[in-house]
Amino acid sequence: MTPRWRYWLLGALFLAVAIAAIYLPILRRNIRQAAKLQQRSEEQARRELTQPTVINPSDPRVKAKLFWASGADDGTLSAVSVELPLSNDPVLRAKQVLNTLLAGPVDTELRTVPPDAALLAFYLLPDGTAIADFSEALATSIPSGIQSEQMAVDSIAKTLEANVPKVRRLKILIHGQEVETLAGHLDLSQAFLVNANAAIAPRAAMTGAPVSTGAGSN
Amino acid sequence: MGARGTGGIHESDIVLEFGAQVRTALEAQGFQVVQTRQGNANPSFDDRSAMANAQRGAIFVTLHIASTGVPRTARVYVMNDLASAADATGLIPWDRAQAPFVSLSRKLGDQVSALLAQRFKGSPAVTQTASVRQLRTTAAPAIAVEISSVTVEDRAQIDHMAPGIADAIARGAAAFRPIYVVPANPGERP
Repeated sequence: MTPRWRYWLLGALFLAVAIAAIYLPILRRNIRQAAKLQQRSEEQARRELTQPTVINPSDPRVKAKLFWASGADDGTLSAVSVELPLSNDPVLRAKQVLNTLLAGPVDTELRTVPPDAALLAFYLLPDGTAIADFSEALATSIPSGIQSEQMAVDSIAKTLEANVPKVRRLKILIHGQEVETLAGHLDLSQAFLVNANAAIAPRAAMTGAPVSTGAGSN
Repeated sequence: MGARGTGGIHESDIVLEFGAQVRTALEAQGFQVVQTRQGNANPSFDDRSAMANAQRGAIFVTLHIASTGVPRTARVYVMNDLASAADATGLIPWDRAQAPFVSLSRKLGDQVSALLAQRFKGSPAVTQTASVRQLRTTAAPAIAVEISSVTVEDRAQIDHMAPGIADAIARGAAAFRPIYVVPANPGERP
């Protein structure tokens, strides 16, 4: 190889390395953005599938009890009566009251759950165990701390207890996954006792599939 | 890791400093102290419980800084009542390790709560209950102390609380000591 060709070859190699050095970080950033976009799209798709819960105007209007912060700065909740058309089907009814709870009270200072949190699915097992699947915002947007996390779960559990008598226990999932804590403190690995006195479905029903599923009853 | 305030205050940084002061105060009361976290390490809940459960006659205190609540107040939490699992071996199930200790935890919590309420106006004088993940797997009288809050503009407002928090925990633990009958062997019910 002549010295001239060697220079050309070295020059071409140097150029290739320089282009790669510029292009690789851009490529990496694009891949990261694409992954984020895909994650967001999945979440959006789930929300579109599950929201909004059908409110049937022919459902009887009843006074639902919703639990939001009392405003007393001590982590207590207070019940607020809201007149809503509520289904007699426990799964639909649970979705209706939980979506109203998530929408928040008139005074936004009394919210117990983040405004961008959404109920993705709700299941009720024959033994009275409710499984509520919330979007990631419930865990990521909630103010971190024992008191605020406990208030969020209490408001969900008490609202179910007051309006959906068939719910005995509550298991909370985040984006379809079982998580150890809500935002670093409150234990979500176990189910919460909601209403120990609720009637259990007849034993025959226990062997079957869940009473109803979130996706199927929208 | 943990709560974060608008002024860039991080829970993880503050609790480490509070932990050092609590350690000094407890040692001054004659306690031997084992810290479950050093520096930037972030052991799992189970790792921390394992360290506590390996001690005999231990009490467990976990510190938190909330991002809500009235600034310059503090609250003490103990685990909700847990159903004790019947175990033929007599051993305590890991996932409900706190169950036999709940009433002792409440007694420890009440001692500390009363002192915190005297020290920090607006703090509850009674112990609160919550399903705190860290407490559930701890086989010892265990409390979580939560301080408000990382949302203060000036970090000094929280830092000024550290000696009072440390003193309340140490004096509360000292007052609790005569009540605590230590099981003969680790892993035994109290």
